[in-house]
Amino acid sequence: MTHTSTQDRDAPAAATPPGAVAARRIGRPNPVSVLVFARDRGMIVLWVLMLAAFSIWAQPYFATFTNATLIANAAAITAIFAAGVAFGVLTGLLDLSLPGTAAVAGIVTGKVLISGAPVLVAILAGLAVGPIVGLANGLIVLRGMNPLVVTIGTLSVLTGLASVISGGVPVDGLYALHAIGTDSYFRIPAPVFVAAALFVVGTIFLTKTRGGTRMLSVGGNAEAVRRAGVSSSRYVLLGFMLVSTCAALGGIVIAAFVTSAAPTPSTSVLFEALTAVALSGMPLSGGRGSLPRVLVGALIIQTISSALVIKGVQPYWSTVLTGVLLLAALIAERSLTVAVANRVVEQKPAAQKAAVKKAGS
Amino acid sequence: MVRPPEGTAPVLELVGIDLHYGYVKALHGIDCKIRPGEVVGLLGDNGAGKSTLLKVLSGAHKPSAGMIRVNGQEVVFSRPRDAAEAGVQMVYQDLALVDSRDIATNLCLGRETLRKGPLGWLGFLDKKAMRRAAERELASLGVTTASMSHPVEMLSGGQRQVVALARSAMRVTGSQRGVLLLDEPTAALGYEQTRQVEELIKRLAERGIGIILVTHNLPLCVAVADRIVVLNRGRKVADIATEEADNDAIVGWITGSKAPQEQLAG
Repeated sequence: MTHTSTQDRDAPAAATPPGAVAARRIGRPNPVSVLVFARDRGMIVLWVLMLAAFSIWAQPYFATFTNATLIANAAAITAIFAAGVAFGVLTGLLDLSLPGTAAVAGIVTGKVLISGAPVLVAILAGLAVGPIVGLANGLIVLRGMNPLVVTIGTLSVLTGLASVISGGVPVDGLYALHAIGTDSYFRIPAPVFVAAALFVVGTIFLTKTRGGTRMLSVGGNAEAVRRAGVSSSRYVLLGFMLVSTCAALGGIVIAAFVTSAAPTPSTSVLFEALTAVALSGMPLSGGRGSLPRVLVGALIIQTISSALVIKGVQPYWSTVLTGVLLLAALIAERSLTVAVANRVVEQKPAAQKAAVKKAGS
Repeated sequence: MVRPPEGTAPVLELVGIDLHYGYVKALHGIDCKIRPGEVVGLLGDNGAGKSTLLKVLSGAHKPSAGMIRVNGQEVVFSRPRDAAEAGVQMVYQDLALVDSRDIATNLCLGRETLRKGPLGWLGFLDKKAMRRAAERELASLGVTTASMSHPVEMLSGGQRQVVALARSAMRVTGSQRGVLLLDEPTAALGYEQTRQVEELIKRLAERGIGIILVTHNLPLCVAVADRIVVLNRGRKVADIATEEADNDAIVGWITGSKAPQEQLAG
């Protein structure tokens, strides 16, 4: 009986949120599931609404195939870095050295390519920067240092190294990297395929494999993993190496796309990646979140920027809007999480009372 | 509950365990035997050495002197992993579950089932098999919680405790019988949930697992323990079958107002 009354009390509360909720409620009468859905899928709904709104507002240029490929291309590069940030956050780490790793990887690939090595060797040489930097970051952090401060340190080291290797000037003329940069396949730019492959492999790794699920568990509660007899340090190292490898990949793809590797790290790419991750609703406390949603985060950022460019709005407004959106997303994520927790807690005392009653009778 | 016969070989045997922190003697010549299927209630006031003894048994602390035997074999635990590998599992007070992951993942953490064939070599999980194993484990313990794909954070305190107990139970019921160390398993639980955990402890003992139960909850101890061991200031002052012990005597031993049992004094 107690249980039924709980349901009755909750039902009107679930009916109150207006508009878009109606579509989400199909087959999900439980208010907790509605809130969980809003928390987990809200971003996708927002993006679709955004696409619809911009198609009308910025017609006729926004809703075209060409513009879609432009958005996809820009989002692909953001998404590669965002995947890196996400791997870190899921393992419970915030790595700020990404732009430095990207710069060094781009320069290394460029230098190796210019020296006459085959394209594949050049790309692999650049990618190898990733695991090395990640291992260094990880080994320092495992000595008990704060990841944030450590990676700020390595960012500085890598920034300097990139200039030292390149002599302070960009490595130009990297046309040989066209396969992952300037080429298009089926009229879709190459970086999109690189990002897609990364996200497919990354998602499978996180959800289907032992390494991925353990990494997520380390992010959720490293102590629990240790007590279960698993070395959590190994997964912290793995997390750092994945972050840096994504960053290296991003650096190489940028170099391929602009046919030039710059020794100056682009911090804007880091902040866009962080924004995409935050937009995906991934809490920085680690252990939860999904990679595909990060992709949506990256798409949202580039969708806004594209619409504003088409409408001739000053590009600065795009940054302002993205920032506002990020803050709104954080607040929404927090209040939805609290609402879910409250619902779960609310239901518990009732269930306990019922149990005691049963035991007493 | 059937009390195991006196003659059964102990799963866990402590001989003269001493532990010194500098000049402080935290444990003093502790001897103790736990037979398979036996629940031993370890009682004592704060600072009596209960937690220290658990830490020695779980491999977190190394004893200064003395010997530990598991299934008749002498073992040395230099880290918790050694204890776990020997079949001695600690269930922690703060549960140590990963809140964001589901029940099956939590139960199988560290011993996940991999797929057969090439996908398994790549580390792909057999999630169905893991869910089945988790379900089987919980069912055999006579508890039904939520669906195996439910995150642990959605569970109530009692259900979480059940999951934590089941996880440890899965690890000790391997080829040989093991020992579970429970530290205040009902500290945060309500009446009904405490009853549930009580039942669970009895069922685990029926499987032949030796259980050491550390608690301040005397009624719980009397309800589930076959034998009660009381520590006072690092010494064992009583080791008595539950049915022979009366409450006043136990409280007397805990507070130190009653002299140690005769065969132990000395």
